[in-house]
Amino acid sequence: MPRTVILGVIGSDAHVVGITILEQALSAAGFDVVNLGVKTSQADFVDAAQSHDAEAVLVSSLYGHARQDCEGFHDRIADAGLDVCTYVGGNLAVGQDEFEQTRERFREMGFDRVFDAETDPQEAIAALRQDLQLTAREAERARVDS
Amino acid sequence: MPRDQRLAGEELQRLANGLRDEWHTGREVDFEEAIAFHESLPPGKQFAPVLESADRPLLQPRAGVPCLEAQIDLLRYLEQQGGADLLPTTIDSYTRDNEYEKAEEGLAASRNSDEDALNGFPAVNHGVEDCRRLVRALDTPIEVRHGTPDARLLAMVTLAGGFQSFEGGPISYNIPYTKGHSLEETITHWQFVDRLCGAYAERGVVVNREPFGPLTGTLVPPAIAIAVMLVEGLLAATQGVRSLTLGYGQVGNVVQDVAALRALGALGEEYLPDDVTVTTVFHEWMGGFPPDEARASGVIGLGGVTAAVARPDKVITKSPQEFQGVPTKEANAAGLRTTRQLIDMTIEQDIDLAGIDEEQRLIEQTTRALMDAIDRHGDGDVAQGVIRAFESGAMDVPFAPSDAAAGAVLPARDDDGRVRMFEFGDLAVPDEIREIHENKLGKRAEREGRAQSFQMVADDVDAISDGKLIGRRGETDAD
Repeated sequence: MPRTVILGVIGSDAHVVGITILEQALSAAGFDVVNLGVKTSQADFVDAAQSHDAEAVLVSSLYGHARQDCEGFHDRIADAGLDVCTYVGGNLAVGQDEFEQTRERFREMGFDRVFDAETDPQEAIAALRQDLQLTAREAERARVDS
Repeated sequence: MPRDQRLAGEELQRLANGLRDEWHTGREVDFEEAIAFHESLPPGKQFAPVLESADRPLLQPRAGVPCLEAQIDLLRYLEQQGGADLLPTTIDSYTRDNEYEKAEEGLAASRNSDEDALNGFPAVNHGVEDCRRLVRALDTPIEVRHGTPDARLLAMVTLAGGFQSFEGGPISYNIPYTKGHSLEETITHWQFVDRLCGAYAERGVVVNREPFGPLTGTLVPPAIAIAVMLVEGLLAATQGVRSLTLGYGQVGNVVQDVAALRALGALGEEYLPDDVTVTTVFHEWMGGFPPDEARASGVIGLGGVTAAVARPDKVITKSPQEFQGVPTKEANAAGLRTTRQLIDMTIEQDIDLAGIDEEQRLIEQTTRALMDAIDRHGDGDVAQGVIRAFESGAMDVPFAPSDAAAGAVLPARDDDGRVRMFEFGDLAVPDEIREIHENKLGKRAEREGRAQSFQMVADDVDAISDGKLIGRRGETDAD
């Protein structure tokens, strides 16, 4: 059965191109993708994860406000009783940051993986397959079945 | 549904009174006193006269930090070390969403730490007097640059605060910047903003308006961008705007960029009323940048060369740190100086590029087809026409996040790196123009031995940050 992932740009951010490409790549890799689009609230991510019985939530942010936007996100996920894998990716701090510090900060906030804006979609897909314990073949089969 | 009619003065007043209570700084706005402040500004700080009398492309960066003193320091640095001719104040993204509470939290957090918690200057939270402190502190005219679908309060506060140029428009700040706002709503909101600018103009204070030309910033076909500029120009002119700067974002093919800028200027003169002064602005590449400052400077330099050939009235520069968030002031000034160097070395050369006229004709013909479709959809009313044309898909913008656009158009580069369309959706483009696009893209697909697909679009989106113009794949990679 295809695995469902939730995708969206959090907060007041309208950068759409990255998630459009990610959506296409994830679909091609056999995932069921629910793309919530830009300017998505924490509540919308959690509601979508619940109603679609998703296994992963992928949060995108390019405009630098990710820290304020993601504050309390994992409490909300826990309160909803969800057991999902969470990724965040993009330009996560306002200025010219050291990415390793940013990664550490978002890991402490509860994200399973943290990616920079240069990440190729295939890298995120490989990570998902590993974290959801999918083999490439399973994902390929899912695409044929769906 | 709004019509393209001038808002009555009493209606402007009534709406302004309601908006004052959206955030406490709205109550500081006093129109008569604002006129007096503008009249006190020396000629060198008056935006429209400085821009319209320039004899070479003026350079303007983007820049906005949360705190007032830091914003003054930043702009002074860009003025002195970057040689900026015009200054910006970029507004943070919470203000753009009218989330003034969140902007207030971000402003407080920024004041209490060394790190900026907002990606711009929250002008509504700062209020009228802080805006005036900023205007007083600098020697150069300053524009409000943002991305706000409902910018009514922002316009009230910043125009009263002494800014004389205001970016945006009902389509260009809807389609690329929102998910849920309808065009009915944004046209109504921007009629207020334009009418407010018109009210200043009636009193002799010309406020320059600048529709946002790059739209979604990613492989936007020139004719689509130009049609949006003309529509927003017409809507603004109806409300009494007298100074309009129409924009276009670099796609990276020099011939197509020069042709597009010439078409933009020519069609702007043709479509807009005679009592409006039309100028043009060229935005350096708005897509993904190389993650390497040296290569990013190359992208910026190509923008400078293009500007020297096309001679727009203004160039919005990028910084070599564009790939990663808000740049340092040093990098921002470097982008200005790189652009200046390339423009000054190139502008006196008589550079003859083959194919510009033909490309310009194609862009103008396509733009006219879109404008005719908008006219038909609204029975001659441009406001209704553009709303209905976006509904039907006759007008569309690639990668549009907004529900107000179909987003069915898909662009890709042809074999020369010019932006064409391979999915038109219901875009109102005649068959003979579609065929030109199909042939040119067919040639590229054949050369690379692959089908035209979303993968080609994705490869083109990444190409410049990967170090090329065209996202080539397949056997011809090597040549």
